Amino acid sequence: MLKKTVYVCCGTGCLASGSHAIYQALQAQVKTLGLAVEVVPQIKKTGCHGLCQKGPLVHIAPQDVTYIHVKLEDVEEIVEQTLLQDQVVERLLYVDRQQGKRVVSKHDWTFAQKQLKIALRNCGEISQDCIEDYIARDGYAALRQAVTAMTPAQIREEITCSGLRGRGGGGFATGNKWSLTAQAPGDIKYVICNGDEGDPGAFMDRSILEGDPHTVLEGMAICAFAIRAKRGFLYIRDEYSLAVENMKKAIADAESHGMLGQQILGSDFDFSVEVVRGGGAFVCGEETSLLHSIEGQTGEPSPKPPFPSDHGLWGQPTVINNVETWANIPVIIQRGAAWFSAIGSDGSKGTKVFSLVGKIANTGLVEVPMGITLREVIFEIGGGVPRRRKFKAVQTGGPSGGCLPEAKLDLQVDFDSLLAEGSMMGSGGMIVVDDRTCMVEFARYYLTFLSEESCGKCAPCREGIKAMLAILVDICQGRGREGDIQLLEELGKMVQANSLCGLGKTAPNPVLSNIHYFREEFEAHIHEKRCPAGVCKELTVLQIDPQLCTGCGACVKVCPVDAIAGEQRQPHVLDQGKCIKCNNCRDRCPVDAIVVG
Amino acid sequence: MPGRCYRGRLKGGKVLEISINGKLYAAAAGEKILEVARRNKILIPTLCHSEALPGSASCRLCVVELHKEGEVQFVAACSHPVSEGMVVQTESQALSANRRRLLQLYQLMAPDSSRIKNLLAVYQGEPLTRLTADTDNKCILCGLCVRACDQLGTSAISTVFRGTHKKIDTAFAQPPVACIGCGACYNVCPVDAIAMEDQLGQRRIWQKSFELVRCASCGEYYTTREAQAFLQHKLGDQGVDLELCDCCKARRTAEKYRDGLHLLEIYNIPQG
Repeated sequence: MLKKTVYVCCGTGCLASGSHAIYQALQAQVKTLGLAVEVVPQIKKTGCHGLCQKGPLVHIAPQDVTYIHVKLEDVEEIVEQTLLQDQVVERLLYVDRQQGKRVVSKHDWTFAQKQLKIALRNCGEISQDCIEDYIARDGYAALRQAVTAMTPAQIREEITCSGLRGRGGGGFATGNKWSLTAQAPGDIKYVICNGDEGDPGAFMDRSILEGDPHTVLEGMAICAFAIRAKRGFLYIRDEYSLAVENMKKAIADAESHGMLGQQILGSDFDFSVEVVRGGGAFVCGEETSLLHSIEGQTGEPSPKPPFPSDHGLWGQPTVINNVETWANIPVIIQRGAAWFSAIGSDGSKGTKVFSLVGKIANTGLVEVPMGITLREVIFEIGGGVPRRRKFKAVQTGGPSGGCLPEAKLDLQVDFDSLLAEGSMMGSGGMIVVDDRTCMVEFARYYLTFLSEESCGKCAPCREGIKAMLAILVDICQGRGREGDIQLLEELGKMVQANSLCGLGKTAPNPVLSNIHYFREEFEAHIHEKRCPAGVCKELTVLQIDPQLCTGCGACVKVCPVDAIAGEQRQPHVLDQGKCIKCNNCRDRCPVDAIVVG
Repeated sequence: MPGRCYRGRLKGGKVLEISINGKLYAAAAGEKILEVARRNKILIPTLCHSEALPGSASCRLCVVELHKEGEVQFVAACSHPVSEGMVVQTESQALSANRRRLLQLYQLMAPDSSRIKNLLAVYQGEPLTRLTADTDNKCILCGLCVRACDQLGTSAISTVFRGTHKKIDTAFAQPPVACIGCGACYNVCPVDAIAMEDQLGQRRIWQKSFELVRCASCGEYYTTREAQAFLQHKLGDQGVDLELCDCCKARRTAEKYRDGLHLLEIYNIPQG
């Protein structure tokens, strides 16, 4: 009997656009078909397939057909046509603009071409709550290999040789971290997974935790064996309720299959993992704050040294790695350090997952080999900036990173190249902005976020961010003064040098990098009281260019305050007294007749 | 070894040698940079540091440069442990500029503090007029009061909220049930931000009133009845004169030493 499997993406993006109802409808539909047909389709709830922009996504194997924007009313047709008659529903296929045609399989999308999936190898390919699916794709083979055929020192050596660096943003060599912890005195050691992903627009860790929870557990178990730890903690951001649910199920399944708990895989190695839900603070992604939070104390950082490898959770040596780092471990053990280190650039090996968001055609989750250029990620995989708009900058590293302009598009994406240009890899947020984004306002946005999310323990971070934010608000509202740019730079340098933890040390990056690459925009705000992007309301006047306006009336329909009037096919007029500068008309106008005065 | 230590000997641990501002100094393993510097009369400004309540590292004024393999790292002298051959620079153009900017921000928080004014003068800083000072505020959030209350008192106060909204307060801004009026928070505050008033045998602090008690020797008011009871409970019968003020306690201890009585006590020799 022919088996067919339907993979319904139930990652964050697709869930939000209603994929769970589609999953249920597919199941119901298949059930009503009964056993009369020869096909026994299995409907599986999977993690993120990557192209979140086009969700809900439904993939059918073995035909290798991928449908996008699937709606409830399409379910019957999919079952009838594709499951029963092996026909492709053309209208549900993805239109690949770069290839200029509809593409049947997600594996042939241009979006997928330059990607290489290691950490995300199972996301979208397996049921998110089924350990058998994971095992069927070589899951827990690496753990078996580690426990039965390797010594702890060999495992650490393998990880060191692979050149794997922490994917949480810091980029510290993972093998070194493990060795330091293994060598630190003490009988009790801990393994922690940092799943407190908090960067605005980032969802890499979330997708792995939700879509492939066992890979994280396997990575942690291998580490526990390599450093002789018996307990592990999964610190997951409280907002990620699906991740918590899937992780708890995965832990229970792994225990019942002998992959966690007592005498793992028949050896004398014991390791148990428990989930700790975060308290909703961005700063708890910083490792000492995270430790304090698990201990039940206020999530505030403490000075390093001592490092967690010496003095971690409850004072014991502790390894803390990010979700994505853990997801790489089983593959490295299974395929070997040489295979892994052949991928990537000189100082950065392997791949990196990015959540590609903002003004980009293909919003989604991508995994690319290190060393790929920003241009390839944004314009080939990401499909470029939509709606005839022009690329302006790409922000990497979230609130700790910086913006890079068009001139830096050929920069290699790796830890050291990004750092050298004033941004950073960070945990993998990649926000693309177009020419309708004000870089001063963008910096202000990040500082507002940080002013709420700084723990407030040390003065440079707390007071420095507050002062820089006050100046940026002034600049955005037309109260910028001579000398403000220099003051921002000096305050920024002080905050970088004097802050206690990584949050403060990197907090000025969005401001400093924006000043570095877009100084003229800051100057226009301060000296000319003008916002070139037309975003800062106090500094913007929108006008309709009568030469360009065709009188199509599109702007009239989108204006929320009825500020635009005019006869059909005659140039329209914008009432400045009513205009709230929401830019709706400007975004809508097909001939770009609405200009910033 | 150059750079003699000021008490003649170091506390235990392996003896190391570190360089501060180009001179070599002896240090013990486990010591912090600040301890070595202070022992050798090298000025490093601090606001949140107290020898009795170390380890906060939050005021960040004591940040110094660590030179290693051609690279400069900024570390807090109060919390960074010494290591053999470490090269420390406590003064530089960059450090002064950063301290000046930081002190300017402190002054916006606590415009009336003379301590901040004096420190700013040391680094030739003018008040930062570009931003508005918080004239209603005195606190610089160094956290010394909270640590003092945790370790000497009853954890009656703490920091509340986070980020730029952070402040020191009692639980739910109510008169704290746990407070015993010991005044440890008041005494340790570097900028006199905590209001405590002793008047007519009454102490007012944190919206609470306490009855003061007199020293059994000199008759001066010196602590609250609650603080005395708390210490009695905490210390038990350790032979500490809880009914004496600090001044008289010091005098009595000195007298005991003078009379050699302490030797009898130390060796547990029956007196008389």
